[in-house]
Amino acid sequence: MNTPALEFKDVCFSYPGGHEVLRHVSFSIQPGEKVALVGLNGSGKSTLLLHTNGLLLADTGTVSVNGKVIGRKNVEECRKIVGMVFQNADDQLFMPTVETDVAFGPRNMGLKEEEVNSRVDEALRITGCSSFRDKAPFHLSGGQKKMASIATVLSMKPNILVFDEPTSSLDFAAEAQLIGIIDRLPHTILMSTHDMDLARRLCTRAILMDHGAIAYDGPIDTLPYPLISTL
Amino acid sequence: MKPAERSHIGDIDPRALLLVTVVYLVAMLSVPLQRTDMIIWFAAYPIISAPLAHIAYERLFRNSLFVLPLLVFIGIFNPIYDRTPAFALFGITINSGWISFISIIIRGLLATQALLLLIRVSGFNEMCEALHRLGCPGAIATQLLMVYRYLSVLLEEALTMQHARQARSYGKNSFKASLWGPFVGQLLLRTIERSRRINMAMKARGFNGTLSTSPNMHWTTADTVYCLVWIPVFFSLRFIDVSALLLTLFAYC
Repeated sequence: MNTPALEFKDVCFSYPGGHEVLRHVSFSIQPGEKVALVGLNGSGKSTLLLHTNGLLLADTGTVSVNGKVIGRKNVEECRKIVGMVFQNADDQLFMPTVETDVAFGPRNMGLKEEEVNSRVDEALRITGCSSFRDKAPFHLSGGQKKMASIATVLSMKPNILVFDEPTSSLDFAAEAQLIGIIDRLPHTILMSTHDMDLARRLCTRAILMDHGAIAYDGPIDTLPYPLISTL
Repeated sequence: MKPAERSHIGDIDPRALLLVTVVYLVAMLSVPLQRTDMIIWFAAYPIISAPLAHIAYERLFRNSLFVLPLLVFIGIFNPIYDRTPAFALFGITINSGWISFISIIIRGLLATQALLLLIRVSGFNEMCEALHRLGCPGAIATQLLMVYRYLSVLLEEALTMQHARQARSYGKNSFKASLWGPFVGQLLLRTIERSRRINMAMKARGFNGTLSTSPNMHWTTADTVYCLVWIPVFFSLRFIDVSALLLTLFAYC
C-alpha cells in the first residue's frame, strides 16, 4: 500500500479551557482520494481540518502528511503540501488585489518572480478569475471571492487540498461552477460539508464526525441513513 | 483608490513619491506654530501636483475636509488658553491662540492633502511596499495593508449589526446610550475573532511576519529629478521666510 497522503493516528485535542474537541481520531487518506468530512455543527470538523497543515497541533497522537509527522519544526514544509481553503473567503483574501493575493503564497515560498507570475496566471485561469485579477477582493461577489480564494491556494501547487464548507453562502450558479472546478482537480481532497449532494457528487468516501470522534468511515453511498438524517 | 492612470507623475516610483511626501510633512510640520505666513506657501505642493496627477485640486481639498472636525477639536483650546495679543486688525485684537488655531487647521489640511495625493498616485499597496523598501519594518507595512483591507470588513460588520438592531427596533431609530457598550463590545469581539481567522489563513500560506513584496519597482532618472526638484523647494520654504523676502523685494522695487 502507498504511503497515505494524510494520516491521523489517535489524535486528541482540547482548546484552552479544557473543552475536548477531538477524541482519538484515526483515519488515513490515500493520494488522489476525495473524502467528505460530515457531521453536525460543533462536531469537530473545522478543528480537525486545522490539524491537517499544522495550524493546530495535536495534544496527543500524530498527524502525518506524505508520511512525515507534522511538528513545530516542519510545519512550514507541510503547509506547502496541504493547501487550505477557509469557509469565509473574506478571511482568506487580505491583499489589495486578487492578483497580489494569489501571489502571496508563492512569494512566501521564496520563488523567483517569473515562477510566481506563471503560477498566478495558471491558478487564475483554472478558477476563471483572470478577468478580475486587478480588482480589490472586497469588490467581488461571493462566488468570485470563493474562486479567488481557491486560486490563492492552487498557486502554491499543494498535493492535498482541504476545503472548509466550500459551498456555504454560494448561490446555485456559483455552486455549480465550484463543483465543476473541484471535480477537475487531480489533488487529494478533504472537504468538510453539510451539503450531502455536493459530497456525493465529488467524493467517494465519507467520514462522519460525532462529538469529536469518528462515527463512520467508509463509502459515501453506504453512509447509514439514520446518521445522514442527523445532519 | 487606484493609482492615477497615465498622469505626468503616475509613472514616478512610489519610493520617490513617498520620500518627497515625508520630507514635505517634516518640513511643513516643523514650521513654528505662530508662522502661518510660512505655512501658506506649502500649499503650492498639492496645488501644483494634483493637476499633474489628473486630480482636480478642488476635489482633493474637499476630500481633505473630512479631518476638519478632528483638527478643530485639537486646536479649539488654543484661543481659550493662549490669550497673548498678537496684532490688531481693524481695531480688533487677535490673540496668539487664534493664530495657532488657524495654523493647526491649515497644517492638518495640507498634510491630509499630501497623503491623499500620495495614495491616489501610487496606490496603497505600492505605498506600503515603498515603505518596506525604504527600511520601514515589514510588520508595520503589513499592519497598514491589513488596516486598509479590513476597514471595509469592519464597517460591514458594524453595518450588519446595525441592520440586525434596526430589524428588531420596530421604528425606534434612536440608539440608546445603554446599547453602545454591548454594540462596541460585540464589534471588538467579532474583530478579534476575525483577526484570528485571518492570521490562520496567512500562516497557512507561509506567512512568517514579513511582507513578501513584488519587485516591480524601478528607480529611474525621472524619479531622481522629481526628488531633486521638490525636496530643495521644501527646505527653502522651511528655512527662508518667503513672505518677508517678497515684501522686501516689493519695497525695494
